[in-house]
This record gives sequence, C-alpha cells and structure tokens, in this order.
Amino acid sequence: MSDTATATDAHDAHGHGELEMGHIHVSSAAMFFKVLVALLFLTFITVAVSRFDFGSMNMLIAMAIACVKASLVIAFFMHVKWDTAINKIVFLGSFLFLALLFVFTLADLLTRRLDHEMHTIKSPVDKEWVQPKPQADGNH
Amino acid sequence: MSHDDHHAVVVPAPGPEFVPHEVAHHFSTPVQEFQSGKLGFWLFLATEILLFGGLFAAYFYFHEVYPETFRVGGQQLDWRLGALNTSVLLLSSWTMAMGVRSAQTSQKSKTLMFLGLTVLGAAIFMVIKFFEYKAKNEHGLIVFSELFRPFIENPDGTGSLAWFQDYHGVMAGVPHGHMFFAIYLTMTAIHGLHVVIGAGLIIWIMFGTAKGRFHAGYFMPVDLVGLYWHLVDLIWIFLFPLLYLVP
Amino acid sequence: MTTNTPAVATATPETQAPRETYLNCSSGFMSWAGTLDHKRIGIMYLVGVGIAFLAGGLFALLVRLHLWEPEGLLFSNLDYNQVFTLHGAFMVFLFVIPAIPGSIGNMVLPLMVGAKDVALPRLNLLSFYLWLTGAILATLAIVLGGFDTGWTFYAPYSLYTDKAVVTIGLAVFVLGFSSIFTGLNFIVTVHKLRAPGMTWFRMPLMVWALYSTSILQVLATPVLGITVLLVAFERLYHIGIFDPRLGGDPVLFEHFFWFYSHPAVYIMVLPAFGIISELVSVHSRKPLFGYKLIAFSSLAIAIISFLVWGHHMFTSGQSTYAMFAFSFLTFFVAIPTAIKEFSWVATVWKGSVALNSPMLYALAFLIIFAIGGLTGVILGTLNVNLHLHDTYFVVAHFHYVMMGSISLAFFAGLHHWWPKMFGKMYSETLAKIACLIIFVGFNMTFIPQFIMGSRGMPRRYATYVPEFEPFHQASTIGAIILGCGVALMVFYLLQSLLSGKKAKENQWGGVTLDWHTPTPPPHLNFDHEPKVVHEVYDYSTLDYESMQRDAT
Repeated sequence: MSDTATATDAHDAHGHGELEMGHIHVSSAAMFFKVLVALLFLTFITVAVSRFDFGSMNMLIAMAIACVKASLVIAFFMHVKWDTAINKIVFLGSFLFLALLFVFTLADLLTRRLDHEMHTIKSPVDKEWVQPKPQADGNH
Repeated sequence: MSHDDHHAVVVPAPGPEFVPHEVAHHFSTPVQEFQSGKLGFWLFLATEILLFGGLFAAYFYFHEVYPETFRVGGQQLDWRLGALNTSVLLLSSWTMAMGVRSAQTSQKSKTLMFLGLTVLGAAIFMVIKFFEYKAKNEHGLIVFSELFRPFIENPDGTGSLAWFQDYHGVMAGVPHGHMFFAIYLTMTAIHGLHVVIGAGLIIWIMFGTAKGRFHAGYFMPVDLVGLYWHLVDLIWIFLFPLLYLVP
Repeated sequence: MTTNTPAVATATPETQAPRETYLNCSSGFMSWAGTLDHKRIGIMYLVGVGIAFLAGGLFALLVRLHLWEPEGLLFSNLDYNQVFTLHGAFMVFLFVIPAIPGSIGNMVLPLMVGAKDVALPRLNLLSFYLWLTGAILATLAIVLGGFDTGWTFYAPYSLYTDKAVVTIGLAVFVLGFSSIFTGLNFIVTVHKLRAPGMTWFRMPLMVWALYSTSILQVLATPVLGITVLLVAFERLYHIGIFDPRLGGDPVLFEHFFWFYSHPAVYIMVLPAFGIISELVSVHSRKPLFGYKLIAFSSLAIAIISFLVWGHHMFTSGQSTYAMFAFSFLTFFVAIPTAIKEFSWVATVWKGSVALNSPMLYALAFLIIFAIGGLTGVILGTLNVNLHLHDTYFVVAHFHYVMMGSISLAFFAGLHHWWPKMFGKMYSETLAKIACLIIFVGFNMTFIPQFIMGSRGMPRRYATYVPEFEPFHQASTIGAIILGCGVALMVFYLLQSLLSGKKAKENQWGGVTLDWHTPTPPPHLNFDHEPKVVHEVYDYSTLDYESMQRDAT
C-alpha cells in the first residue's frame, strides 16, 4: 500500500468480495433533472386523482403513486441503484421488517371482527366506553 | 499514540482550494473507510424507517378503526399547502442530489450553492408548516397554548382535551375527532424536527465545504447528509397523501 | 475503571520496561473518558453493567425478603410495585441487554475478526455515554417519584399513574439508541474490517452470534423508541392512541412494545449463545459440532423472533386468529434453539474436557437453559398459556433464561476472557466454589416458583395466600444463597486485579484470533496484521508454548 490513494482508483487490498468498489458512480445532472420532473409530475397526478372518489381504492392508488415516487428517490437521488449489495439489502430489508409490524398488527385488528361475528365476545374497541356517542366528545 | 502515525493514509487534495484527507487509523484504505461509513449510515437510516414505521402503523390502525374521523379530519387540512410543501421538499431533494454530485466532482462553489438552496427549501417548508399549524390553532383543532394541559375527566368516565376545542364543530359528527389531529401533529412535528436537524447538518457540511474538506477524494459527510435529507423527503412523500389526500 | 491501571503498573517489578498494553499505554482520567479504544470502552461498559447488575440484584433480594411472609415483610403494596419495577427495569435495560455486547462483545469482537478497532470508534464511545445517560436518567426517575408500571410500561396504567414515567421513558429511549449504535457498529465491523483470510465461515461463532444480535438491535429497537415516545406524548398531550378514554387501544401499545421486546429476548440471549459456543469448544479442545448449523441458527432465531411477539398477549384481547398464528409460529423458534443445544452437547461429548471455572459456568448454562427453553415451549402453547399467564411459572421461565442462562453465560465469558482483559488470573478454587453456590442458589430460587406458578400464584403481587408460604420461603433462601455466590464472585475477581497471579499468554488454549494477540492486547490489538490461513477451531494449530508463557 503506498502512502497515498484515492477513492476512485483504490481497490481493496483485502480481497473480500463486498469491499471491491471500482469507482464511485457520479450520476449525470440531466438524469437528476429528469427524476425531479417525474417526481413533480407524479405529485400532480396524485393530487389530481384524489379529486375523484374511488371508494376503498383511494388509499391503494395514493399509496401506489407514493411508492413509485419513493422508488425514484431511493434508486436515483439516494444512489441505491449503484450502491453495494449489502447497502441495498440493509435499506430495502428494513421495509420488509416494517411490513411485519404492519401485517401482524393489522391482521389482529381486522380479524377481531371475525371474532365478533363468531362469538358474542366483543372487541374492546367496539365497547361503549371506548367509542362514546359523538356528543360526549369534544368540548364546546 | 505512536502506533498511529506510520499507518496514516492520506488522500491528496485535487486542487489548492482543497485540503487533503487523512484516513482514520484503523482503516487500511479510503475505500474501506468510505464503505464502512456508508454501511453504518444505511443502518441508521433503517432505524429511522422503523421509528417512523411505528407512527405509520398507528395511522393505519386508527384509519381502520375510525375511517370517518380520518375522512372528515383530512378535509380540514389544506391540500394546496400540502402539495406546495411536497414540491418544495422534492426540489430541495434535487438540489441536495446536485450538491452531492458537485462535491463528488470537486466543484466547491457549486456545492455551496446547491447546499444553500437546500437549506432555503427547508426554511420555506418550515414556514409553510408554521402557517398550517397557525390555521389549525385558529380553528381550535390544535390549540397550542393548551397543548400540555391535563385531560378533563367527566364523572361518567368520558372526558375531553384542553387542546381540542373544535370552535366550528367540524368534527362533531365523528367519533374521537381529536384522534386525526393528534396523529397529524405527532407525525408532522417529528418530521419537522427531522427537517430542522437535516438543515442544521447541511449548514455544518457547508462550513466544511467552504474550508475545502470535501472533494472527489473524500466526500463521505456530504453523501451521508444527503442520504438523510432524501429520507426526510421520502417520509413526506408518504405523509402527504395519507394526511391531506386519502382520508 | 481507574483501579485497573495501578494493578498493571505494579505487576511488572522486573527491570525491563513493561510491554505496552492497552491498559498502560496512556493514563489519566481523560485517557479513559475520551478513549476510542474498543477495549477500554468494553472495560467501562463492564464496570457500568456490573454496577447495574448489583443494583438490580439488590432490588431482587428486597423483593424476595418482602415475600418471606404472606402479608409481606418490608413494604407497603404500592412501594412493592416500585421495587419489583426497579428490579425489572434495571436488569433488563441497564444490564441484560447491554451486558454481553457492550462489555465482552466490545472487547473481543474486533480481536476475533482481526481488526484494529470497531469500524466507528466515536459512535462506540457515544453508545457508552448514552448508556451512562440512560442509567443516570433511570436513577433520576427514582428520585423524581419512582415508577411502578413494571418494566413493560403497559398502557393504560402507565398513562394514568402519577409516577415519573416520562423520565424513565426517556431513559429507555436513550438506552435504546445506545443499544442500536453498538449493534450498528458490530455489523459494519464484521462486514468491512475482517482481517485478510477471515472469511465468513472462519469467523468464531461468538462473532456470528453478535452479528445476529446486532441485526435485532438495529431493526427492533427503534420501534421501542417510538413506543416509549408515544407513551410520553400520551402523558404530555394525550394523543389518545393508547388511551381507551380517548378512543385509543391499549392492545396497540402491546403490539408495539412486544414487536421490540420479544426480539429483545434474543438480543439478550444470542450473545450468551455465542459465548457458550466459544467456551465448549475451547475447554473441550474440540472443533464445534455443526459450525454452520450454529451460525445459521443464530440468523434463523433473529428472523423468526420477529414473527412471534403476540405470544406475550394471549390474554390481552387480541383476535383469536392472531393468537393461533402467533402460537404456531412460536414453536419454530424452538428448532434453531434446540440445534444449538444439541450441537454444544455433541461438542462436549468425547472432547478432552478441562473443567476450568469458565467451563463449569458453561455447563451450568447448558442444564439451566434446557429447562428455560423447554418451559418456553410450554408457555408458547396457546391453551396452556391461558392457564399459566402472569403466574410465577412465567417468572420462573424467564429467569431461567435471563438470569440462569444469560447471566451465567456472561459470568462464563467474564471468567474466560478475564485473563485476556487484565493479564491476571483469579483464584480457580474460589471460582469453582462460587459457580456451585450460584448454581444451587439459582435453582433453589426458581424451582419453587415453577411449582407455585402452576398452582396459580400470580406474579407481581405483594401478598399471597398462606399455602404458598413454604415455596416462597424456599425461594427467598435460594435467592440469598445466589446473592452470596455472586458476592463471592465479585470479591475474587476484584482481588485478582490487586494481587492475582499473572495469567498465561493463552490461558485456556484458544485458537481464535483473540488468543493470537499478546495478553493483555496492545493498543492497536495486533503487533502484526493477522492473516488467517486456518479454519476456525482448528486445534492442530494450537501453540502449546503460549499456554505456558506468562502474560507480559
């Protein structure tokens, strides 16, 4: 190893697979600008779509557009597209674990209704003391 | 510590306006240092995702329990201001990406300009946020002066909140009208805190840039602060439709 | 921490200058308080978690003494709530979670992978200071009115009680980030700082275990952070999401809390598995049976632990369907865990076992963990759980895991690496006696609790029906014996620093990289950059001469 090295030409002397980073990817300014335009356009779309009522599809449509926008930010602005495999796994994996929190918590909530239909036992959130009459709420 | 000296690896400065970077003693190469810092920061961002994830889980949970509350509550927010703020954050994310790019290509003054624009974006975002909060305060949906007052208990077991006055009765027809605004306040306030911290980090990075610390050979701090800023943007991309549009 | 320095300085009366080690390379308060050396940070963690353990143990003894009589001996019912909460909170957040990664992990992980330090030394120091801040806040919370919610902070009680819940919540938040930063550091270190030739499957199993732990620390702890923040917000401005008076759902709190706190059980126990894996191999002088199985079972446990948290909530009002799923998934944790237990036993089998004191602690672990693990399977069964929920059976189960297994593994690791850390040997005779006392005392404390629990003794009660008196008294006597054993251990360990014999260069005959550095290690860990050419646990490479040579 010489005294000097630069990040752009140094190869890892240790020879572990994931340390080998030939060069740092510098994206072109034009690409960044295109991504920005796409993001602003999608913002316009999501606002425009929200002016119409698709019922239960509202949430799905909005989240789908948000996911596309998020993917653009992650892939291009955050450079994940050109990042090392481990960094990709770490960041995208965190969403996977987050999904576990969502899935199990909401699965409990949603299946409580099935409980409710099958048995006479009521879920705590349905009880009167949890869900009082509207006029009891708020302070005028 | 005498051992440190003969191990020092130095990345030369690309020009007279820059300073060389000395690699920390326990790394063998600048690449190893860069990748360690970057992996560490991605892990930190993963913790941020899960931290906000808890709030999002709470949002979805109560959106499911009280759909009407969220629908009516969402109508009280001004989607124009929300969309404006979304655009401001997206623009600032772009300036940040360009700032990182300028640092990677050793363009000092351009880096400073783009980072400055990003801070400007953060400031505009917070100003708009302030006016949104002010409107909520005026309608009694979040009375900030009463925020930390205790819960008012009624003899029948119900109660009411000092900070939720609802002067115009817009939430009177739905159960637990405060719930939407409590979640709105908590999520946007924690997000706003991240905006402020992010802006502070960018300003800190600007000082380093002005001193010529960051260039093609060493730009890790700019890169990492950039990632943080994009994460702030990323969270807002989801907050905007959930709070302003969908309900 | 500063007491170590004179101990080393006086240990070299010879005329030649003592070899420079991490302990004597610099001195003064700031050389410790501002150190970036993972070994010194490990020692500071060791002192910290040691004090927290003794404090938590003291609270435990107070609880046991109070329960000597059915009506209670020492406290009012409300004070009793505070004492057991203090015991739980101190032990869980200040001791069990940070103990092994913070102290032993910090000390040996960079050595084991052949690195000069952890990847992010400043973050490592910050992690320790966050721990210290958390400890100070927790102590402050006692002064500010105490806390009586149990270590679990269950809503809605934690929202209504007039105790210092916000302060202790803040302490837990800060401690959470301390834990996250340790885990983050270890992941980066393992990925980026392995020595040449140190492939993934040449890493000691301690490293695999700490790596798996770190994944849990990074991914689960933030959810605890947001949960305690939300509890604090509930108390400050009543968001209402956990508060049934405001339309909230306390079950959501439990989901959030156990999303962290079940994986947290594995944050606590996986490092213990790592220590035991190292010890059974070294002291049996035999490569580990099923190296890859143990390595992958650590990862498997880490992943599966995210899928089972609902088994803490079988009586909390979850939906029946969620309970089925959580109970079913819980059994899967038993598979990788049993793989480990069997592999350890198979390693000891026909090995040339040296019954050194670390090995004795490790063998005690194997017995106690078998009981602790199997009672966990019993409790994971949905219908049995409904009967045993919140009884002393649960208390006994998790003490078999947390105290009996994790703390004993911590002690085992401490005895194993003590000569490496300080270059000093404690009295082996006293160590073996203490191990025996701790083993007997521990079982005497908790076997009666299994019996009481199965007969319906509820946990967290300050009083009980007279029928349980003999069991409670046996348990209290056991706790006192256990306390004496721990006191003896603390005594001979501290004594060894002052007047202990010099340890051998390679005290136990280990072949992993941590035993390839001088004892105690120099500031930068290795005199020459290590190159790994052998498989891990290859005892044919053992340098017997280093086992005879005194530490320098």
